[in-house]
Amino acid sequence: MAVTTMKIALAGNPNVGKSTIFNALTGSKQHVGNWPGKTVEKKEGHLFIEGQEVIVVDLPGTYSLTAYSIEEVISRDFIVHERPGVVVAVVDAVNLERNLYLVTQLLELEVPVIIALNMSDIAQSRGLTIDTSILSAQLSGVPVIKTIGTSGVGVDALKSAIHQLASPAIKQPVSIDYDPELEREIQLLEVEVRAIPELADKYLPRWLAIKLLEADEDITERLSHYSELLAQAEQAAERIEATTGDDAETLITDGRYGFINTVVSQALYRPQVAIETTSDKLDRILTHKYYGMPIFLLMMWLVFQMTANVSAPLLDWVDGIISGPITHWVSSLLGLVGLQGSWIASLLLDGVIPGVGGVLVFVPVLTTLYLAIGALEDSGYMARAAFVMDRVMRAMGLHGKSFLPMLVGFGCTVPAVYATRTLENESDRKLTGFLLTFMSCGARLPVYLVIGAAFFGAQSGNLIFGLYILGIVIALLTGWGLKKTVYRNKPPQPFVMELPPYRAPRLRDVWRQTWERTSEFVRKAGTVILLSTMVIWLLMAIPVRGEGEFNNVAPENSVFGVVSDVIAPVFAPAGFGTWQASGSLITGFVAKEVIVGTLSQIYVGEAETADVGIEPVPTLAEDIAFVGTSFVDTSILTAQEIVNIVPRTLNLVPFIHIPEADFLGTAGESEDTTALETALTQAFTPLAAAAFSVFILLYTPCMAVVAAMRQEFGKQFVFYQIAYTFGVAWLMAVIVYQGGLLLGFGG
Amino acid sequence: MASQLREVLNRFSDQSAPLSINQMAHDMGLEPGVLHSMIDYWVRKGKLREINSSGQACTTCGVKGTCPFTVALPRYYELVTDQDNPSCPPCGCQPKT
Repeated sequence: MAVTTMKIALAGNPNVGKSTIFNALTGSKQHVGNWPGKTVEKKEGHLFIEGQEVIVVDLPGTYSLTAYSIEEVISRDFIVHERPGVVVAVVDAVNLERNLYLVTQLLELEVPVIIALNMSDIAQSRGLTIDTSILSAQLSGVPVIKTIGTSGVGVDALKSAIHQLASPAIKQPVSIDYDPELEREIQLLEVEVRAIPELADKYLPRWLAIKLLEADEDITERLSHYSELLAQAEQAAERIEATTGDDAETLITDGRYGFINTVVSQALYRPQVAIETTSDKLDRILTHKYYGMPIFLLMMWLVFQMTANVSAPLLDWVDGIISGPITHWVSSLLGLVGLQGSWIASLLLDGVIPGVGGVLVFVPVLTTLYLAIGALEDSGYMARAAFVMDRVMRAMGLHGKSFLPMLVGFGCTVPAVYATRTLENESDRKLTGFLLTFMSCGARLPVYLVIGAAFFGAQSGNLIFGLYILGIVIALLTGWGLKKTVYRNKPPQPFVMELPPYRAPRLRDVWRQTWERTSEFVRKAGTVILLSTMVIWLLMAIPVRGEGEFNNVAPENSVFGVVSDVIAPVFAPAGFGTWQASGSLITGFVAKEVIVGTLSQIYVGEAETADVGIEPVPTLAEDIAFVGTSFVDTSILTAQEIVNIVPRTLNLVPFIHIPEADFLGTAGESEDTTALETALTQAFTPLAAAAFSVFILLYTPCMAVVAAMRQEFGKQFVFYQIAYTFGVAWLMAVIVYQGGLLLGFGG
Repeated sequence: MASQLREVLNRFSDQSAPLSINQMAHDMGLEPGVLHSMIDYWVRKGKLREINSSGQACTTCGVKGTCPFTVALPRYYELVTDQDNPSCPPCGCQPKT
C-alpha cells in the first residue's frame, strides 16, 4: 500500500499544554533538534492516521504571529513557506479570549486550522461554558475539539479531525470587520501585491498587504528591493493615520480584538457572579482601601515581635559562647605562645572579640528577620504592600513607585539608592533618594536590639516597630515638604501592577535568600567591622594627654576618647552627651553595626581584660559541656517564645491575661543579659537610650550609601542630604529626650 | 464598538488610584490575559512603560553576584508622559544582573 506523508503543525500560546498534546499525538516517535540557524528547539514527531503518515511539527509557543520575537518569526515562516496541511491550534479554554488572537492570525493566513480546546475540564471547574458549535460557526467552520491533554481525552477525535480536514484541503476564509478606511487601503494594496507575480506566488496577497500596513519589520526587510510597493504601503499608512487619527497597526490589532470580542460574546458563557480564586478573596481584604494599611502595619509588627523575642534565646546563647568559651580559648592560646599581656592579646581580647563578636551575636536575630521578610516576599504579600502604600504616598503628593526603593531600603540602603532608577522622572528619583535613608536598614537592627533588650525587655519588639514606623513617618513628612518646595512637578500617574497569586512560601527559596542575606552580614563582620574594630582599638590605645602609655591608657585619655569628647556636648540636650556615645556614633558612619562593636569595645573589652586571670578559667571539657547544655536550654526557650507569640500579643489588649508558656520554670527570674546590655543600663537612662536609638535611625546610614548617592545624584545633593538628616536626627532625639523629661519619664 | 486598545490607554490616564491588572481587566470586562496582551502592545508602541524592579542593582559593597537585598517585585506599568526623562543618571555605573 502506498503511504503518503503529510506535514501538520502544532501552534499555541506558551503554557497551554501544547507539549502534552504533542506527546499524546506522537507518543515516543519524536525527534528533537534546533530550527535551522536558530537556537530555538524544534520538535518533530510521527503518527499514522488510517495508514497515512503524518509528521507533526511543534511550533514555538507564541501569543501572536507578528515579528517581535524569534519564536514568532519561526512559527510564521513555517506556516507561510512550508504550508502545512493542517495547523492544530492548541487553545487554553480558561483563557479563550487571549488565545483566540493567535487563532485569528492563523485564519488570516488561510491555512486549514483545527482548534484543540485544551484544559476544558479546568474551564468547567471555573464555571466557564464554551459552546464549541457556536465557536466553530463564528470562526468560519473551524473544527473545535475539546481535549484534556493530561488524560488523553479528545486525542482520538483530534486525529480524526486532522484526517478529515487534510483530505479535501478545506480552507476557511475569515472576515474581520476592519475600519472602513483601513479595509479600503488593504484592498488597494492587495491589488498591488497581486500585480507582482513572484510575491503573489509566495505570499497570500491580503495577508502581505496587512503586514505591509502594519510596517512589519521582518517583511519590510525581506521586501526591501520592492521599493515601489513599500512606498505605496507607507503612503497608504499615512493616509489611514490622517483620516482615522490612529496608525494602521493599532487599527489592525484593534480590529482583531473586536472580532475576538464578538466571537467570545457568542460562544463563551461566564458565570453571573465570577468565581473568586483564593487570591481574589485575600486581595479584597489585604489590599482594601481602608484596612489594607492597618493589616500591613500588623504584619510588620508581628515580624518585629518574632525578630526580637523568638531569636532572643539564640542571641544569648551565641553571646555566651563568644564571651565564654571562645574568649577563654583565645586567652589560653595566647598564654601558650607567650603573648599573654602583650598588645596582640589586648587587640584580640579588647578589640576584635568584643567588637566583631559583639556584632556576630546578632546573626540569629537577622536570620529570623530575613526568614520572616523572605516568607512575606515569597508569599506574594510584599507586592501588595507596595500596592497599599501607594495610597499613602499619593496622599502626600509622592509617587507610589517611590515605595519600591523604600521597601528595598529596609534591607540595605545601597541597592535602594540604585533602585530609584525605576523612577523615570529625575525630580521623583532625587526626592525618593533623599528619603531613603530614613528607612531603617538591617544594619541598624543590632543597635535597636541591644538597647531594646537592655532597657525595654519583652517590649523590645514594640520599640523596634516604633522606630521603623517613625522612619516612615519622617520620610513621608519630608517628602511632602520637599514636594511642596524643591521638587515641584505634576502629580504622578498611578501605576497598574501585576499582582501574583498568593502561594505558600517555598521553604527552599526563602532559606536560600535568608542564607545569602545573612552571609552578607557575616562577610561584613569579617571585613569592614573587623577592620573598624582594629582601628578603634588602635585609637583607644594611643594616649594624648600625657597620661599613660601605648596600650595602657584610660580610654577617655586616648585619641578616640579625646576626639569623641570634643563633639559630645552637641548631644547633651538629647541625653547622651558622653564621649562613649558620640564616639560610637562617629564609627557608625562606617557601618551601623560598628556602633555595637564600638560600644562593646568600650564597655566590655576593658571588663574582659580585667576578668582574665581573676575568675577561674573553665577547662576545655567544661566549656564544651556548657556549649551543649546551653544549646538544649536555648532550643527549649526558642520554642517557648514561638508558643508565646499569640498570648503575649493578646495580653497587650487591656483586661486580657492569657498565661504564657514556661517550659523551664524560669518565669519571674531575671532574664539573661549580655555584658554589653548590663553596661549600657549603667551608662544610659532609658529615656536617653530611646533618644540615642532615634538618632541612629535618622542619621546617615553609612559611607557606602554616601558613595552610592554621590554617584547617582551628585555632590551637592549628598551635602544637603547629610546636613538635613543630621539636623532631623538631632532634633528628634532632643524632642524625645526633653519631651520625655517634661512628661515625667525621668532622666 | 469603541476601540478596546484605546480604552486601555484611556484607563491608564484617567485612573486616580493604583490598580491591579486583574481589577482593570474586570472593570473592562476582559480576561486578564487579554489585557496583558493589550498592555504589551502599548509597551511596544512606547505609550506605556513596563517597570520590573526585581533582582537588579549596582553594588558598591563588594557583593558577588546579585545583591541579596533587592526585593523581587512583580512588573508594573505606567503611562509614558512628557515629564519623563528616561536617561540613566550620569553615574557610569552598570547595573549588575
